[in-house]
Amino acid sequence: MLKITNVTKKFGELTAVNNLSFEVAKGQVFGIAGPNGAGKSTLYNMISGLYSFEGSITFNNQSLGGLPPHKIAKLGISRTFQIPQTFPSLNVEKSIGVGNHFGSKDGFEQKYVDKILEFTNLADKRKAMAGQLNLLDKKMLMIGAALATKPEILMLDEPMAGSNATEIIKLMDLIQHINQDLKVTIIIIEHFMKVLTQLTQELLIIETGTKICCGDPVTTTNDPRVIKCYLGDSRD
Amino acid sequence: MFIEIIDVIISGLINGSVYALMAVGLTLIYGVSKAFNFAYGSLYSLGGYIAFLLFSLAWINNYLLVFCLAAPILLVIGFFLEKLLVAPLRKRDDWEIKVMMITLGLALFLDNSFQVVFGARMKSLPTMLEGSFELGEFILSYQDVAIFIFSIGGILLFRWFLNNTRTGMSVRAVAQNPEGAQIVGIPKEFVFAATFAISTVMVGMGGILLAQKYFITPTGGWDILVKAWVITAFGGMGSIKGSLYAAFIVGMLEAFVGWHFGMTWTLIALFAVLLTTLAVRPQGLMGKWG
Repeated sequence: MLKITNVTKKFGELTAVNNLSFEVAKGQVFGIAGPNGAGKSTLYNMISGLYSFEGSITFNNQSLGGLPPHKIAKLGISRTFQIPQTFPSLNVEKSIGVGNHFGSKDGFEQKYVDKILEFTNLADKRKAMAGQLNLLDKKMLMIGAALATKPEILMLDEPMAGSNATEIIKLMDLIQHINQDLKVTIIIIEHFMKVLTQLTQELLIIETGTKICCGDPVTTTNDPRVIKCYLGDSRD
Repeated sequence: MFIEIIDVIISGLINGSVYALMAVGLTLIYGVSKAFNFAYGSLYSLGGYIAFLLFSLAWINNYLLVFCLAAPILLVIGFFLEKLLVAPLRKRDDWEIKVMMITLGLALFLDNSFQVVFGARMKSLPTMLEGSFELGEFILSYQDVAIFIFSIGGILLFRWFLNNTRTGMSVRAVAQNPEGAQIVGIPKEFVFAATFAISTVMVGMGGILLAQKYFITPTGGWDILVKAWVITAFGGMGSIKGSLYAAFIVGMLEAFVGWHFGMTWTLIALFAVLLTTLAVRPQGLMGKWG
């Protein structure tokens, strides 16, 4: 449903993403991994319309090139950020409401907002200010606000960063629920290989903007090229 | 003496209320788009001139009608000014500085246009309400009461708009997190233009309200720009609540300094208070830093 073909992004002399192609199928949990600076977040910024790019990105056969972010959100692509982005002076319920108001094709539905609040375990904190939540709840809220736009694809950017083992289990559980119960296709950027191998059906490894390999997570993580890009070459 | 002080307080409250209406508009633009609008004072004069033109039409004879006609005119002008002049700059680097330059240019353009079209002589508007309430030595003109009521009404309407309408909600979302707002489907460019348009209405309304007391001149907006800027910096750039408090403090300060030391001292006193505040508290009364 999401097809990236020969996409390149240059910042001046620096090539952040280099002639990258891959495809995400409907219903998948699709993982993206690679060392820091590999171009993972740049890729998200291009898909969600924050950056321009060369090449083609299509969603359900519609080209996303040149579309502004809010139109892409309306088409059904939503995302989260590495550092939780919230609306600090809106309360939890309103923050999710904003996403539902503006992002969803069906407009605002209190029922749906309630469902998302239950889903993200924030129902009893609905009146709390977004700025005052702890890190896990902020992450839950950011995912909730993204879900409120009723996306077909949810792109998560390092959702586990800074979380402890219990929180990681909670977040993984949530991601699985979103994928299976809400039928949302998921793309996830993550550093924890364990998370990726457990959650994803397909895993893409990139380094300095270039595809290293792509395939089922177990094979991919054992690929010598992947081991080399993470651990370095013993012959170097 | 006692009556005099009451008079001074009332005049401070009335000026403060109009300043509040205008400063909230200026801080709104800054809070949402992080750009400073140097043409704000000229848009104040524009409001006055639009009202002057409307009053020159035979069938228009009251302020309510003028407000109802001037508001949409100002809204449209503000919207297109943003779309034509400011929006194209936002795609470039250092656009904040460029926006300041172009709004400064717009201010000069507007002021000179006013001079050519309307002439350099002062224009006046009819009094909103004749007569006054008198109790012994104490006199309160109905005009002042009307100005106060319309200013506070304008602020309350704005508050209602921010809290209860779809556009108001998107304005608040963009002010807090522009990227996050886009991601949940809010058209950021539209919100920027809408904000500019709304602030144009607010300052234009201020222009109409004050014109009946202080006349309209082609360069009369500069004083207002300076005051509105002092108020927003004093209250905290981008903080609406801060601007409200600061506007009334400035109104009072002006009234008391003007009464005790003479009107020439009011601006000096304002800057002294502003500089002292900023030296102690650089973010202003209620501003957030970073």
